[in-house]
This record gives sequence, structure tokens and C-alpha cells, in this order.
Amino acid sequence: MNIKLPISLTIDEQLFSRLQSHLFPGDYDEHGAVIAAGISQTARGTRLLAREIFPATDGVDYVPGTRGYRALTASFVAEQSDYCSSQDLCYLAVHNHGGIDSVAFSPDDLASHKRGYPALLQISNGIPVGALVFAKAAAAGEIWTTKGVFPLEHLTVVGKHTRRLYPSPQDAPRRSKKIYDRHTRLFGDIGQEILSGLKVVIIGLGGGGSLLNEWLSKLGIGHIVSIDFDRVDITNLPRIVGATRWDAKTWLTASRWEWLRRFGKRVAAHKVHVAERVAKKANPAIIYDAFVGDVLDAPTAELIRDADFIFLATDSIRSRLVFNALVHQYLIPGVQIGAKVTSDKYTREVTNIFTATRLVFPAVGGGCLECAGAIPASRLNSEGNNVEEQRAQNYVDDPQIGEPSVITLNVQSAAQAATDLMMMFTGLFESSADMGHIMNFARERRLNTVEPSPNPICPDCSTTKGSRKAQGDALRLPCRMRGN
Amino acid sequence: MTPEVVAAIDEIRALFSDSVVGSEEDGEGGAYVTVTGLDIGPHYEPAIASCGFRIMFQYPRADVYPHYILGGVKRRGGQSCQGVQQVTWRQQEALQLSRRSNKLNPATDTAALKLVKVLEWFRNL
Repeated sequence: MNIKLPISLTIDEQLFSRLQSHLFPGDYDEHGAVIAAGISQTARGTRLLAREIFPATDGVDYVPGTRGYRALTASFVAEQSDYCSSQDLCYLAVHNHGGIDSVAFSPDDLASHKRGYPALLQISNGIPVGALVFAKAAAAGEIWTTKGVFPLEHLTVVGKHTRRLYPSPQDAPRRSKKIYDRHTRLFGDIGQEILSGLKVVIIGLGGGGSLLNEWLSKLGIGHIVSIDFDRVDITNLPRIVGATRWDAKTWLTASRWEWLRRFGKRVAAHKVHVAERVAKKANPAIIYDAFVGDVLDAPTAELIRDADFIFLATDSIRSRLVFNALVHQYLIPGVQIGAKVTSDKYTREVTNIFTATRLVFPAVGGGCLECAGAIPASRLNSEGNNVEEQRAQNYVDDPQIGEPSVITLNVQSAAQAATDLMMMFTGLFESSADMGHIMNFARERRLNTVEPSPNPICPDCSTTKGSRKAQGDALRLPCRMRGN
Repeated sequence: MTPEVVAAIDEIRALFSDSVVGSEEDGEGGAYVTVTGLDIGPHYEPAIASCGFRIMFQYPRADVYPHYILGGVKRRGGQSCQGVQQVTWRQQEALQLSRRSNKLNPATDTAALKLVKVLEWFRNL
């Protein structure tokens, strides 16, 4: 297996809390465990993804060592490493030291790695193995691969307060630019530096996505990837931030000649290119990748594997399935936003107007869209049918007629989503904050929070056999397979 | 085709071993499937027919429906039935059977079992 550097480990907050409780029960002693992790090779390095932890029972699995203070027993190591290699997961032995924000392996630890890991690596089918050592707010690691031994660069805890742990405290942040003066009064230079280091993906650059794009650029996010296959249309102009009549080629698309109208639609600007223009105006230093493509296609979806956060701002249920898979398989938090207007089929009277902001963390009860019933199997089917088939099945009166859409509704769901991202990465959420899905019913002026109802055998968020959780590159994303 | 769609077609072939199961790629990783020589019961003329359907690339998460009874099948007595409508499917005259699975379990509700259930429902209409 080729290893791209640096190597990092990502773990969800729930699993991290369990591990912390086991390692630091308050007795100031040393404890051990094993993490089974999926692997993802990305352009930003190798990401190890914690899927399960196996705490070692003191005195049974974690006993006084013959050379060091304590050690995992041979039988515990054999059992867990066998399990990991049978599941194509990376075996990571874990123990703790004292201290708070600095930690390193002891000479005894390093000597035991040299004795044990070459043999473990041989039986792991080429999958890396390694060791981690924790202090309360620090982590260090050594990863053994067929290409050499490499340090773990950092550990990311994904959750309400998404943060990184390093072996020792990092250098003080640089002073932020003057334009961010008012930001830093809220979350400091460190907060601004964290935001500038993020790679954020926006899927869908329509009404909601284009708002997010502008706000995130102004917030100082360092790297945005925007994905949309669509071009600007005259009916988008009241909603898409920065889109002009020139982008929509309105003088062509309003022509009385059909061929000219068709030509105008073909040469209108792609939504992602309008978004790129807006973002670079807001933050000339931004790294911006505009992709004309569909997240339903594997090469496009795979671009997202190394993101720090995903915004899903499309209307499609099929893209929700891919988004939910990315969140859980690659441990990337995300949020799905949308606005919906429902009307009576016969009278056409508006019955309901609501917006949704569904934050999804890669953990059981983290807001999984599958568990929330937001990915109906029937819609995954019907969205794949062509217009004639949809008409025949009476799904809609005319699938070619667009749904109602108004910028103020887009704002409602997008604003919550952008604020959630800022709060998560700068550590400003209260520990008691309710992270449920937020539904805003505009007609009733009513806000509802929908609590998660996790399915213990969910194919995405659970750890049942074959589920996506933290499997990384080992599983295929639920994308189209073209040209086969 | 995706490995999941290939496995679904293999399961249909195993379960309907007396029938001929044909498949054609849909260009997205899914497939159009046709199962011929199915007994659709005495209420219909002819009583042996073919059934076609599409398995989408997001199977098994995507439901498999509707199913199409092919070949100009008519109900004896001529009365219409709820959930059945006359349509054209892939340039063929067909009866469309819209049986959606509202609580689909992707681990157990396979395309083969769905076909069994839909045919059972159609026979007993």
C-alpha cells in the first residue's frame, strides 16, 4: 500500500469520549486499548479513520510488562489484530501517559514497537499498524507501513467541538489580517487561523449554496471546493449571489428563435464559475476549486474525501445518499440544507413552507440522514427515471416545471448551517447545545428541533458488519458507474 | 453494472430458475431486467407472461419499482384494478404495477424477493 504523508487519525467525539474515559478514569494510572481504523489515501495525506475501539481490561488484557511498566497481553493483541486484518482495518495499540498538552513515547515504548510491529505488519496483509500514546489533550503516534515508519501528524476529533490534538502545543497563531479584526474579537487569532486552514465543500451552487459560498469566503475559509453541473438561467437571477444577465445570456435565451435560445442555454455561465468569481472578490487569498460535475459521479464525489466539512445544497435525494455516505465513510461532518414549499395537488394552494438545516456528525445519533428518514428508498428510485416514466408513475404532474424557490427561505437554512460550521470549529458551542435537525415552518413562524432516532443497524452510521462508518477507501461510494 | 446490481440479478436467476432472466445495462451502473415465463395466475390472459423492471445504480438502497407485466396481458372480464395502469415501457405495451416499499430494509428486501411479492400481489388481485 502506498502511503501519502502526512498521516493523521480522525475519530468521532462519541468514540473519543469512550476512549478518554477508559484511559483517564481519574486514577492517574496507565491503561490500554486498541483502535480499529479504516484508511483513506488523499491528496492531503493518509487519513486513518477510527471505526471501533476495544478497551483492554486492566489486569486481564493490560498487565505489568516484563520490559516496560504495562503491556497488552499477547492474546489480546492477537485477537484484535486478527479482527483488524479480517476487516481490512488498521490496528492501532493505544495507551496513556500523564500530563496534559504534551506526550511522547518512552524508550521502552519505542523498543517494544521494534520488537512487535514488523511481525504484526507481516500478518496485516500490507495494511499499516501502529501505536498511539495520549495525554489528556495531546496525542502522538507511530505508524508502521511496508514503506517505512512514520509519525502521526495529528489526531482530529470530529463533533460539536471539532479540534486537533498534536504531540505538543503548536506555535502561537499569526496575527490575523486587519479585515478580520471584528472576527477575532469573537474567536481570536487562533479561531481565524483554524478557519483559514479549512477545506470546505459546497455541493449545489443554487440559491442556498451561492449564499454559503459568499459567506464562507468572507468568513475567511481558506479553501472552498464548489460542485455543480448546472448553468445560470434567467430564473436563477433573483437567488444566485453574484449572477448577472450576462452570465445567463438573457439576450440569447429570450430570443424568438429556438436555435438561439438553445445556444444561449449552452453558453450561459456555470454556477460554480459565478461562485468562484464571488469568492475571490470576497477573499483574494482563497484557494478555490470550481468543479463542473455531479456528485453522483464517483470521480467528483471522491474529490470530497479529504474535506473538513461538506455543505449539501441540492434538491436531490440521490445526492443525499452520496453525502450521507461521505460523512460516515470518511468521518467528515456536514450539513444538508433545503427549502420546501408544498401545495395542494388539485387547488394549487400553498399548504406548507419550511426550511431544513440538518447537521450530520459521523457518529451513532449524530443526525444521520438515513436514520432520520430523509433518504426515502422510493425517491432514490423515482429520481432515476426519465420525465416520461415519472409522468407515467404519477409522481408529479409535470416534472419539467420547477418547484417554488425564494431567496429569503434559502437564507434561513443557509445562515444556520454557516453559523454551525463557525461554532463547531472555533469551539463556541455550549456543551449542552442541541445538535438536532432544525426545521423552520415559515407560515406558522415556528421552529422545531428534530431529535435523532438512530437505527442500531443503519447501513451508514452504525458499526454493524458491512456498514460504511469509517471504512474509508475500502467501500465504493453509492455513485453512478459510467461507461461500463 | 455495480457489484450490488450484478448480485441482485444473480439472486433473481437463482430464485426464478425455471424462467429466463435477461438484463441490459442502463448506462449508470443499474440494469433493465426482464424475467420471462412467469405464471401470473388464472385471472389474466395469457396466464404466462414476462415481467420487466429497472434496478437503479443505488440499489439496494433504492427501491425496485414499478414492475411491468409485458406482452398485452389483459384481465379476464376486463375490469380495471387499483395500482395497475396501462403504459408503454421500453417501446412495449405493459401493465404498470406500482408497489412501493415504504419501509425498505436494504439488507433483506432484495430485488428477487420484491419480484416474488409483487407477483403474488398481482395474482391475488
